[in-house]
Amino acid sequence: MCADLIRTICPFCGVGCGIYLKVNKQGQLQGVEPDKGHPISQGKLCDKGWSTPYAINSDKRLTQPLKRINKNFYPISWQEALTTITVELNAIIDESGSQAVGVISSARASNEDNYAAQKFARAVLKTNNIDHCARICHSPTVAGLKQSLGSGAMTNSAKDIFVTDLMLVFGADPTENHSILGGHIMQAHAQGTELIVVDPRVTRLAKLTPMHLQLKLGSNIALINALLHVIIKEQWFDQHFVESRCRGFEQLAQHVKNITPESVESTTGVSAELIRATAKAYSHAKRAMIFYGMGITQYVSGTNNVISLANLALSCGHIGKPGTGVNPLRGQNNVQGACDMGCLPNVYPGYQAVAEIESQEKFSKAWGTKVAQQPGLTSLGMTKAAQSGDFRALLLFGEDPVVTDPDQNHVQSSLKNLDLLVVAELTMTETAKLADIILPAASFAEKDGTFTNCERRVQKVNQALAPLGEAKSDWQWLQALAKQMGSPLLNWKSSEEVFNEMASLTPAYQAMTYPKIYDNSGLQWPCTEDTPYGTAILHQQNFPIGKARFICVNQVDIDEPIDENYPLLLTTNRLHFHYGCGSMTRNSPLLERETPPGVLFINPTDATALNITHQAPVSIKSRRGYVETRAMFSDDVPVGLVAMPYHFKEAPSNQLTNTAQDPVTKMPELKACAVAVTPLSKGVPPKTIQELQQLQEGQ
Amino acid sequence: MDVYQLDDLTKLQQHLLTQFHLYQVINNDDEQYAWQQQTKEGNDPLIAKLPQSSAKDFFFAEHETLLIFNGEYFQETLPTPKPFVLFGVLSCDLTAISYQDQFFKDDPYYQARRQQCLLVGLDCIHPCQQGFCPTVDAGPGVREHSADIILHPLDNQQWLVITTNDKGNEAIKGLALTTSHWHLLTQRDLVLHRCEQDFPDNTYLTRAIDKLNTGDIKDTFWQQLAVQCLGCSGCTTLCPTCSCYGTRSIPVESIQEEEKKHIQQERFWDSCLYEGFQREASFHNPSSDAGKRVQRFWQHKFGNEFFTEFNRHGCVGCGRCEQTCPGVIGVHSVMKRINSDA
Repeated sequence: MCADLIRTICPFCGVGCGIYLKVNKQGQLQGVEPDKGHPISQGKLCDKGWSTPYAINSDKRLTQPLKRINKNFYPISWQEALTTITVELNAIIDESGSQAVGVISSARASNEDNYAAQKFARAVLKTNNIDHCARICHSPTVAGLKQSLGSGAMTNSAKDIFVTDLMLVFGADPTENHSILGGHIMQAHAQGTELIVVDPRVTRLAKLTPMHLQLKLGSNIALINALLHVIIKEQWFDQHFVESRCRGFEQLAQHVKNITPESVESTTGVSAELIRATAKAYSHAKRAMIFYGMGITQYVSGTNNVISLANLALSCGHIGKPGTGVNPLRGQNNVQGACDMGCLPNVYPGYQAVAEIESQEKFSKAWGTKVAQQPGLTSLGMTKAAQSGDFRALLLFGEDPVVTDPDQNHVQSSLKNLDLLVVAELTMTETAKLADIILPAASFAEKDGTFTNCERRVQKVNQALAPLGEAKSDWQWLQALAKQMGSPLLNWKSSEEVFNEMASLTPAYQAMTYPKIYDNSGLQWPCTEDTPYGTAILHQQNFPIGKARFICVNQVDIDEPIDENYPLLLTTNRLHFHYGCGSMTRNSPLLERETPPGVLFINPTDATALNITHQAPVSIKSRRGYVETRAMFSDDVPVGLVAMPYHFKEAPSNQLTNTAQDPVTKMPELKACAVAVTPLSKGVPPKTIQELQQLQEGQ
Repeated sequence: MDVYQLDDLTKLQQHLLTQFHLYQVINNDDEQYAWQQQTKEGNDPLIAKLPQSSAKDFFFAEHETLLIFNGEYFQETLPTPKPFVLFGVLSCDLTAISYQDQFFKDDPYYQARRQQCLLVGLDCIHPCQQGFCPTVDAGPGVREHSADIILHPLDNQQWLVITTNDKGNEAIKGLALTTSHWHLLTQRDLVLHRCEQDFPDNTYLTRAIDKLNTGDIKDTFWQQLAVQCLGCSGCTTLCPTCSCYGTRSIPVESIQEEEKKHIQQERFWDSCLYEGFQREASFHNPSSDAGKRVQRFWQHKFGNEFFTEFNRHGCVGCGRCEQTCPGVIGVHSVMKRINSDA
């Protein structure tokens, strides 16, 4: 049972752990082991990483292109697939213009795949309709930190956890979603580093510290403003820093002058005493780091939530030094990279604005074609426009919006309304089931490329296996499609050539090459002539916008409060066993066994009042949808709040979630909506959404 | 037991390669030590480094098909490996193999591989980073019963070659070896004794083992500890004595027409730290509490009841769990906390 070991990067989250793939003589993935020398993971993996072989070797993998005729899929050749797509795309563009077509790329795919996707959209299709799932995880981070600090990425590095004095974890559950980094936090805490957790749920980290601020859903800004009030009133802020490095402190001081801890007690549910203690601890710590996640971003106030965290860090000067910073925990393995690559409607690679004529000219010149000028649509914009018939063709890869996007019924009917839906995937997902053409995608183990992790570290992914069946890397099929459409613009011979073209156009990546990335176990951007080995800590001397900006923001309540008909609040969460829509992790018999297919976490007090027993089947209804699942008693959710993971296609929380959006980034409020929970008759298993939909169709 | 002296180890490697497939630990890339097959054309030098993955996968496969059922007949799928030698197994991992030999005594899949294997052990003459084999009677010197041949490095690039049984004697037949003086065995004992003394202080380990067995560790201690167990399965995957497995049926659609649809029964490594490991179909679960699961794991490694059954601890002191646990509750961390908090 001896195997070759291929060093690569784990595909399961933004931490980007080092993993070795064990490939046997038959060329099969036999197992994995952690990379002992990796700068972050140092010989550790989480359960998702350990179960990689199940995800890759799944017998459910797609191995050839498929075409849908009525309700069934039939295998076709790549040539037929490309010809069909080309004919359809050309016809739609002729009739309705380039605005009627678009691409949704993937935060799971490589930088090379993502670069190719946005270039395909902008240079071949001639549209800025390009987006990916960062819309529903960290678009407020990009928008918020860009305004406050000038750059929308994690300011510090994972290793800073071991040099900081205090960790403030805000609306993030890192032991579940970024397990290795969560483990670092546990380790540092065990060694004496102070830990403060702000979360409506009693997360694993919250159980380890007496400093748990169990705030009410969506009261982040009220809480942070009160923290700022205390820090400013008590003169605990860093005067030198706010004067020399920031603008707008006076206005902020004025803004929070009356927001006392007492005044927000009822809004936040956190005692004034605990707010004061937190303000004191954070401001007095020599070095303090903020980590945050979806509990900050997935609100109608997402962008402002991010801004207020920046205000907090800036006021204490906890930025630009080791062991400090504002550190978003990015969800997917390459969500940072997909953003960096410009898979967003408003920016080219390296966040160069689409609206600026200079950038338009730069990319037109570099690509040798006039790029699209009209502003593009976001992913939710595309589904909305599909509903009305204005948007007609979508190419999508490595994402499953039917399971992961808010208001599932809306997404499904929009996608059904398209004239052409092309999906490239590893396995048959709920979204792929709606496609006209499905293309078999190569897994991370079957390709070369790079992923950029949440600490901006660009890491080399190395091919260990031959692509399964006729599967192709995304940049390869995009290249083939461009060629079929008569465009030579995606004419690379290797992923390295894609990378080199991208690096030449992306300032923060300009001094990176494949060999250099491999030799240094990754390079953190910006990596330029001045910083040839990358940058571990941003904003040490200056901010990209010169001085950082304090921006005054106000508490915004959640869009859908409870009422008589919907008396409980629902929030969404993740389980560490599963990743996103579960299309990879749910192939593991071990991880699949850990949880029933769908679950609702409910406080025993609420459950008893509703006559619900542990593990009993229940129904959950919101204004948008209905699902059935099983109740799981948990003291980790407070009374009045229920929580549901979004991994399960059988009981998708996104049947229920709200589409109300952050006005800046169109981030939907996935973290809060009002629901009604009712017990179902015992002994009858909960019906899956598919069964429920069939029943409805049958009526 | 026969004792020989050898000046060039490649002679032994080359000799064994004429009869066996030969596997050896090599430095794959930046300290990533792993078992790799060696060929006659090129032998890597023997290194006394603990590979991250132990040798257990050679016998107890991470995934294997146990049988195929085609609707009419059951077909057994016993492995048929060629004779192979694991060259240079360290004492902790050898102890683990003999532990698993007991556990899988009647397992035909395990035994089919095990019977084909010649074990060549390698003495450690320096402590390794997380290792504590002397504390649990698993090293640093190779235990006689655990290997067919033992290698011990002498000064001046010389090697002591000790055969412990007929299998070992048979394997070196035909190789020109000098019979060694018995005094070199005394020298070996001395070197190993010195190595043992170089290990860091281990009293917290023995104290914790005692405490674990007197039963005065409170449930709340385990519950608190278990908050840090992420259920990743890293410890059980890398532990050389862990042997839990699960099975599943995989329906296989036939590719060729003449082949019938069939079902494969697959066995795969499982982990007792998963919540679902012991859960019954009715949802009843005797170990639904994470604290109970963590306690059970350590009880299996150090509990007297298992010592009686296997004549030794279930832990061989390799320290792999300490290295790989993301929740910082590997063996050293846990044993220290039993001393301080329990």
